[in-house]
Amino acid sequence: MMAMTAIETPHLAEATSSATSARHGPIPRHASGRFLLGFVLPVALAITWEVAVRFGWAQGRLMPPPSRILTALYNLAITGELFHHIFVTTARVAAGFALGALAATIVGALAGAFRIAREMADPMLQGLRAVPSIAWVPLFILWFGIFEQSKITLIAVGCFFPIYLGVLGAILSVDRKTVEVGRIFRLSIFSLIWRILLPAILPTYVVSLRAGLGLGWMFVVAAEFMGASEGLGYLLVDGQQLGKPDQILASILAFAILGKVSDGLLAAAAAPFLTWQDAFAPRG
Amino acid sequence: MLLVESVNKTYPNGAQALDHASLGVNAGEIVAVVGGSGCGKSTLLRLIAGLDPPTRGQVQLDGETIRSPLSAIGLVFQEPRLLPWLTVAQNIGFGLYALPHDERDRIVNDVLQHVGLADYANSWPRELSGGQAQRVAIARALAPRPKVLLLDEPFSSLDAFTRASLQEHLLDLWEAFRPTLVLVTHDVEEAAFLADRVFVMRPRPGRFVATIDLGIARPRDRYGVEIEDAKRRILGALDRSLRPHPKGEELAPAAAI
Repeated sequence: MMAMTAIETPHLAEATSSATSARHGPIPRHASGRFLLGFVLPVALAITWEVAVRFGWAQGRLMPPPSRILTALYNLAITGELFHHIFVTTARVAAGFALGALAATIVGALAGAFRIAREMADPMLQGLRAVPSIAWVPLFILWFGIFEQSKITLIAVGCFFPIYLGVLGAILSVDRKTVEVGRIFRLSIFSLIWRILLPAILPTYVVSLRAGLGLGWMFVVAAEFMGASEGLGYLLVDGQQLGKPDQILASILAFAILGKVSDGLLAAAAAPFLTWQDAFAPRG
Repeated sequence: MLLVESVNKTYPNGAQALDHASLGVNAGEIVAVVGGSGCGKSTLLRLIAGLDPPTRGQVQLDGETIRSPLSAIGLVFQEPRLLPWLTVAQNIGFGLYALPHDERDRIVNDVLQHVGLADYANSWPRELSGGQAQRVAIARALAPRPKVLLLDEPFSSLDAFTRASLQEHLLDLWEAFRPTLVLVTHDVEEAAFLADRVFVMRPRPGRFVATIDLGIARPRDRYGVEIEDAKRRILGALDRSLRPHPKGEELAPAAAI
């Protein structure tokens, strides 16, 4: 015992400290300015287009330059209209995503954990997955009317499939050896799901949630196209009907920012639960 | 008392892993099961652990037939199999989920002291060396205080130096907790150094062919004459087990020459 401690401790302490510095060392340096790199391309494109229109090399009527888009955004913002539309759309995505993700997680976990559930439900769900979600729109309008319910249902359906598929696929690929640890400690099937399967699939699960959220933003536009009097999708239709390309691009810009921010928030919310990962992290 | 009674195990693909394997281990005893690869050693351990059912025969602990994993039986796998999303302390407490928090913490701290990893309580498994990870795995299996601890070639992936220190460490833990140890290994020296009795297995299908009572007092000198002698006896039994079958079905037919 004494001998072993003396033997093992020095090289372990060394290994741990080098691992720690490799993991935590470079990250703050990167975080300081690196994210600015992501702005280089869009800003350069915007400046190019602005200059091209200013000098008359291009015509800005159907593709307004950034200054006009920003003006449109500003005008929408000062009346408070923009925030109202953003709020409505975000609320729809949030509700639809929450419902879809919850259902997909439960169904995916059950299908992954119980063979009989999988054999019964999976073929049907895979069939339904092949139906373009937009195809449900007429039915949902008949069922739920043209207001919030049908829109939220459509978004939920859109979010459901990537998350269901992610959860199911991840559970089926959990290492048998890890599951055996649970069996040795006599976990019930539900503790097995909660204490082994869910943590084991968490990294994949986060990725599929992000994919689902992305689809949520896609389907909110489809939902708002089918008849809405508010929301960013309504601004798009309104811009088309009244010939206001700057308003269309302003809403598109809003979508881009909302999508990026919501995805970043989701990733950031998941990060504390994934610090244990021993993953490949490319450098440089 | 752990009893394996005339156990057969045939896998669904038709491979017979065990044939009439019988074994009795007294409480607190250390036994080693040795044999070449594919002789059914690991299968035997899985049957005792209750992970797989025997095709015929039965395994009993203190008179009760084992049908599924019991809290009285712990298992250490060949690989540490730590859960990467739990810290070292949480991994060790994994099997204690039924206990209240403070009691669990007390046991985990106690076991951490015993395995000499108190400084690593809050480390992630990825930050451990192979030897440390296997020590945590042993601690996890010991934390619920099993009567029987099964070890499936637990040190086979470690370097010789770490392996020797972990063997001594295992004996320290055995002194402290006094579980029955059933150690499966292909390392003759490991068997000679650790075991009270050694069971020798022959492959295809797995069957016990010899029992060697070592009768060497502890602490043992790894490089002493007694261990050398024990190694020779085990190797001799292993060698004989691979000689032509008494019934005439030879493993290496001489008629081919």
